[in-house]
Amino acid sequence: MEYPKEQIEDLKRYCKKLSAVTEGGVTFLYLEGLRLPAGCQPAECDALLCPEPKDGYPSRLYFSSQIQGPYTRNWNVSNARIVERNWFAFSWRVEMANPTLSQLLIGHLNGFVKEK
Amino acid sequence: MSSDRYSRQSFLGLDSQDLISKCTIAVVGLGGGGSHVVQQLAHIRFQRYVIYDYDVVEESNLNRLVGATLSDSFAETPKLHLAKMTIFGLQREARVRGFSSKWQENPEPLRECQIVIGCVDSYKARQELEIACRRYLMHYIDIGMDVHGKDPPVIGGQVILSSPGSLCMKCMGFLTDETLAREAARYGNAGARPQVIWPNGVLASTAVGLAVDLVTNWTRSDRIYAWLVYTGNENTVRESHTLRNRQATSCPHFSNADLGDPVFREL
Amino acid sequence: MSIQFKLSGALYREIMRDLERPHRFAAERVGFVSGRLSSLTGSAKLILLTRYHSIPDEYYIDDPHVGARINSEAITRAMHAVYHGRSTREGIFHVHLHQHRGEPRPSPTDWREIPKMMPGFQAVGPQAAHGMILLSADHAAAWVWLPGQGEPTTSGSISVIGVPIRVFEREVLR
Repeated sequence: MEYPKEQIEDLKRYCKKLSAVTEGGVTFLYLEGLRLPAGCQPAECDALLCPEPKDGYPSRLYFSSQIQGPYTRNWNVSNARIVERNWFAFSWRVEMANPTLSQLLIGHLNGFVKEK
Repeated sequence: MSSDRYSRQSFLGLDSQDLISKCTIAVVGLGGGGSHVVQQLAHIRFQRYVIYDYDVVEESNLNRLVGATLSDSFAETPKLHLAKMTIFGLQREARVRGFSSKWQENPEPLRECQIVIGCVDSYKARQELEIACRRYLMHYIDIGMDVHGKDPPVIGGQVILSSPGSLCMKCMGFLTDETLAREAARYGNAGARPQVIWPNGVLASTAVGLAVDLVTNWTRSDRIYAWLVYTGNENTVRESHTLRNRQATSCPHFSNADLGDPVFREL
Repeated sequence: MSIQFKLSGALYREIMRDLERPHRFAAERVGFVSGRLSSLTGSAKLILLTRYHSIPDEYYIDDPHVGARINSEAITRAMHAVYHGRSTREGIFHVHLHQHRGEPRPSPTDWREIPKMMPGFQAVGPQAAHGMILLSADHAAAWVWLPGQGEPTTSGSISVIGVPIRVFEREVLR
């Protein structure tokens, strides 16, 4: 799947390097060195953004490690094997109509800073 | 050792023992299904194993864990240890690499295999194993059983063969986005799943039969995909209706572009 | 350093079918096959063969002193494959068939001519492995120039993942 160039450029602001990778017919965006919201430990990590429906969610954001944040989250994905690495994700549903990639990312990161 | 030891399986072909002994086979999950699989593979003379299980024997396993005893439940014997004892008890020269971990924590040894038999307990786990097998060129054989419903309960199960270049579990209709989503929604609420020994035995035997055929092609069927459905209440194993009704002849989900390590395309 | 190869049954059959075809004047056919480099446990390597590149009849040179000689166009095509495979660490392997049973061994001509191609392939695809694969009627062997290496390493095994599975293991050291 291709995304508009301006959305790609905008997304790059949040990480050190942005790549695309495909596995089993699904395309992920790989955000190397994604900066996490204040209060998260670690402060940055690698992440995989899947803008397509996955595992029952309209989109999903996976992290390279389980993040300690201000709120307790249900980390229902632990050591999921995707693109030959292990990933973690917490249950957080982002429902938006036609979000840009950055809006989608922020929607997922809000899972750290919003109580619900 | 007598040369008669494998004489009863000479129908598999003149060079079958040589072919079997050279094959490296992985078994992921050494519980109710995997313990049966390992036992049969060792009897047949598979020599090279990569096996994974991080769990220990508990009392609740004793109704189905092949090789486990009461003493093992008291001692909390690792299932990995049981599997190794089974293998070495029959094949003293076997090369066994065993990992008391999830395979995802030690993925490289899996890549050396020609066949992977998955005895795991979730659709997600199956999907991940199949992807690894497609990336690193391995035949994948999957087994699983469940018990559902009541009055009477229904025992069901499957044996699936997914080979590189041929239909995958999504093509066959076994893995769907809906089943993965339903499973994800149930996460943490799975509870103890009903499990009994005899369906595991049927499924493991069928899987081992597929593995031996992949190595020797003794049936001359050239089979590279299969979805066999076990119905415990009827004691039958049949080709899946879903698969039979599918028209797909090639797999659109994996291509040669997916072979090997993932390729990250910088944007 | 242990190196294993894997290829699908379909690719193996494609290669054998092509190499077994007679040529108008060449005593044997040769081809190239692309392969991706990956890692196993420790320093061991895995090479996954991905695509076969058949050499058109007109790219052979009539030289009665050797089994087969290919022209510069054939080499250029191989170089292109290496160039386009850089992002996936996909290198190129010269492949041909010796018509006998058992583990194949390179002839003096093979050792004299094929390694000459490697520096060029390494220059174009320095992150990939390149080399030569030798097939026989029922066996196979390979020699690999890993990234940065000037000398080849003999591969330990070549597995054909088809039905039946075939595992060709090195029995004779170079």
